[in-house]
Amino acid sequence: MPDGKRIEIQVLRYRPEEEERPVWQSYYVPYTDDMSVLQGLQYIKDELDGTLSFRWSCRMAICGSCGMMVNGKPELSCQTFLRDLQPGPVRVEALAHFPIERDLIVDVGEFVKKLESVKPYIIPKEPRKLSDGEYLQTPAQLEQFEQFSSCINCMLCYAACPQFGLNPDFTGPGVLALAHRYNADSRDGGRAERMEILSTEEGVWSCTAVGYCSEVCPKGVDPANAVNQNKVNSAKDYFLRFLSPKGESK
Amino acid sequence: METFKADVAIIGAGGAGLRAAIAVAEADPTLSIALISKVYPMRSHTVAAEGGAAAVTQAHDSLEAHFHDTVAGGDWLCEQDVVEFFVGQAHEEMVQMEHWGCPWSRKADGRANVRAFGGMKIERTWFAADKTGFHMLHTLFQTSIKYPSIKRFDEHFCCDLVVDDGRVQGVVAIEIATGDFKLIQAKSVIIATGGAGRVFRENTNGGIVTGDGMALAYRHGVPLRDMEFVQYHPTCMPGTGLLFTEACRGEGGFLLNKDGYRYLQDYGLGPASPTPVNKAMELGPRDRLSQAYWHEKQKGRTLSDPRWGDYVHLDLRHLGEKKLRERLPQIYELAVEYLGVDPAKECVPVLPAVHYTMGGITADALTAAPLPGLYSVGECSSVGLHGANRLGSNSLTELIVFGKVAGVEAAVYTKSAPEGNAKKINMLAEESQRKAMSFVARTDGTERIATLRREMAKSMEDGCGIYRMNDTMQATCDKLAELKERYQRVQVDDHSKGWNTDWLLAIELGYLLDVAQAMAHSALNRKESRGSHQRLDGYEQRDDANFLKHSLAHYAGQDAPRIDYGPVKITSSQPGTRAYGAAGEEADRKAKELAHA
Amino acid sequence: MSRYAAARKGYVRPMQGWWRRDPFFMRYMIREITAFAVLAYAIILVVGVVRLAQGEVAWNGWLAALRSPGAILLHVVLLVSMIEHARSWFEIMPKTMPMMIVGGERVEGSTIMRTGWAVSAVVTVVVVALAWWARS
Repeated sequence: MPDGKRIEIQVLRYRPEEEERPVWQSYYVPYTDDMSVLQGLQYIKDELDGTLSFRWSCRMAICGSCGMMVNGKPELSCQTFLRDLQPGPVRVEALAHFPIERDLIVDVGEFVKKLESVKPYIIPKEPRKLSDGEYLQTPAQLEQFEQFSSCINCMLCYAACPQFGLNPDFTGPGVLALAHRYNADSRDGGRAERMEILSTEEGVWSCTAVGYCSEVCPKGVDPANAVNQNKVNSAKDYFLRFLSPKGESK
Repeated sequence: METFKADVAIIGAGGAGLRAAIAVAEADPTLSIALISKVYPMRSHTVAAEGGAAAVTQAHDSLEAHFHDTVAGGDWLCEQDVVEFFVGQAHEEMVQMEHWGCPWSRKADGRANVRAFGGMKIERTWFAADKTGFHMLHTLFQTSIKYPSIKRFDEHFCCDLVVDDGRVQGVVAIEIATGDFKLIQAKSVIIATGGAGRVFRENTNGGIVTGDGMALAYRHGVPLRDMEFVQYHPTCMPGTGLLFTEACRGEGGFLLNKDGYRYLQDYGLGPASPTPVNKAMELGPRDRLSQAYWHEKQKGRTLSDPRWGDYVHLDLRHLGEKKLRERLPQIYELAVEYLGVDPAKECVPVLPAVHYTMGGITADALTAAPLPGLYSVGECSSVGLHGANRLGSNSLTELIVFGKVAGVEAAVYTKSAPEGNAKKINMLAEESQRKAMSFVARTDGTERIATLRREMAKSMEDGCGIYRMNDTMQATCDKLAELKERYQRVQVDDHSKGWNTDWLLAIELGYLLDVAQAMAHSALNRKESRGSHQRLDGYEQRDDANFLKHSLAHYAGQDAPRIDYGPVKITSSQPGTRAYGAAGEEADRKAKELAHA
Repeated sequence: MSRYAAARKGYVRPMQGWWRRDPFFMRYMIREITAFAVLAYAIILVVGVVRLAQGEVAWNGWLAALRSPGAILLHVVLLVSMIEHARSWFEIMPKTMPMMIVGGERVEGSTIMRTGWAVSAVVTVVVVALAWWARS
């Protein structure tokens, strides 16, 4: 039960049908120690202003819907707690480096297209019939890529990446980490195809190793590592292409 | 209204919807598939499932054992032919997921590992750390990208089915970003929209789990089956209701009351052994564990906190930090981040919360609804797998086994179904649009969405809780009738066209109220106790003579639903006693003796 | 013009002054700027080599210039920059390396960083010792 404490939450509103530019709006929200920023926003929507729009679902930092800027930092609002932001005001804004469609909702269509473009599925190294059972994969082999498979597509890393902010064509940390996840999977043989995308200007070479992406990642994926270790691979491919007739190293 | 034509339309892009889409694409690459979801696929609630997916794997396991565990777990309300089919297909589907890249946790020899789970006699639950649903969903979504015949309609909200000529003809959807309506004309439609846990106050579900598809089918005359059976997951976070996977118990966690006592042994689940014993103590089925909690609460033996009310302790300390971080990393994070509790050093507060909807759209063994052209799969569906209580790790397997069936069946049907009457279909779609728009147009409404939703959720918790009584169930039924009446005057704050989430919440509230009504009336009318529907008002026993049958709720508009009944298919397992713990061992031993006699 | 520009809808927030918005970005910019310190010192050393080739007088002139107060101040600034350069590069170095498993355990980023510092310390000690020994 709220015990009389209130905190100010300032939200960057944007209603394209009513105004040309985003505008800050203040709300006073009663809160308890276990409330997240998301619960604060839900209170605003339920009780104060039903026109506030934001994405959310699972409330447990696994669906990746609720990414936004809280006091200037990319956070999942369901996992950011008002008790840590006292005395306020708490400034909430749509995820950085993406165009704002409405209030806290950004246009993520390009992210999804980029994700689809890196062939994020197993291209089997060897064929295997279902009746032969599962491919064998040791725990050590699983460890090689498991961390990179934990990405929840929340895009906080994109909000952290200034190179993506400056150049929206950059494939970006999350998608490059996903490409690496498949390259590093012992069952996959599609590395050469994915390197074609990774090795471009919009691939790993737009990255200048700022490293903020890995800092903000709520799942410990470490996209900076996925991207930067592939610079070595990309360089190797580039130089070794003179040796192999098809221009690819395996 | 913009019109798209597809051969198969699928509403919902979670595990079931994605698997169905892939199945259609593989069955016939020339068929066009419209995969419609109100959220991006990776946000679907499959993502939150943690523990694992069951499939007979070990040499000493058998299809009969999985069959029996499931049927007994369902308190004999399962369609046994469906369960037989399911247990037989499960392993192949797990292997298919693995071939598609699912990062199953492995044994040292490279084979997929399996773990113990509640109500399962032998370990058969495949798992991917403690994020199995997450990994399955992402594997399916990423794999679906391979198939050019799948056209996705991301962030499109379905507001109606188009039904004409006695069969389904398509779907009307709202493009959330713009507020534009789209007609997706398709001769077969698969509903894979998930459960309806959000009708209750404390639940593990995401905000999107609002029974949309169930309500859509229901309003078009498809009965909702076994809606009274709602699963309370025994170990959830106080306050938010977030899930602590059953795997915590599979790995050896204990449930302790305020005296530090493993209280489950007092409820027919003992004896308490220090290491996990399948189907005993903390590895009993979920309904029994939630019911035990309720009894402990009545006896005043639960702990209490001013923030959350009552709870018990999940003790994972003896597992040690290393094992916890390796096998239950997400649980570790959840406890630390949300509760400030380190499970390696302290007990984690837990209590039961609503988790799963066993009932749903009536589906036959091939996922077909009584309405031709309509199929349903996953939590929104009642295909007959779970009966009166679901066993943990059966539902993730359900998504892929029946997702494939639904896809294959829809593909076959769509090729033979005749073309619809385009003019009539368009007219019906326009009517659906007008109905949906009426919420935004209204300016003289007097009810707030959040108020109605809160009152519904509280009433459902009171009347359709772990234990039920005639008077409180009746009160809930009356309350829901009142809420449905007040809903006709609901006022939406937001009158914009694009990204009007307030408007969509109003439509969702309508779905929730209809589904809640089906649940409450089905519960009131089932005058027995079975599985997760337990009564304390003179109907404490299971009554096979009168109630070994499925409840069927029929939509009646503003009036209360009409409840009637349908038969249960029994093949080889006659209703018996559900025995767990030492009693279960004894029962198994006796059964074996009889078999050999 | 971005190839995605036509498809983008919504309000685009400007990137001007992006590096001032977060201390993390400020530290990144400092790291990048320290590269100029490395460049500056490389130029000083190249000039030294050229002076050496030009004969004893030129070489002594170069050494004298290095002893001026201005030069010493510059050296202090460059030394501080180099240390920050090393620190920030050791910080990012683990990100450039593939996963390493030694004896069944994952090699942590902190181990790699500490190795970098350890090697730097050893090299520094060796170079200073050599310089001390050769000063006569």
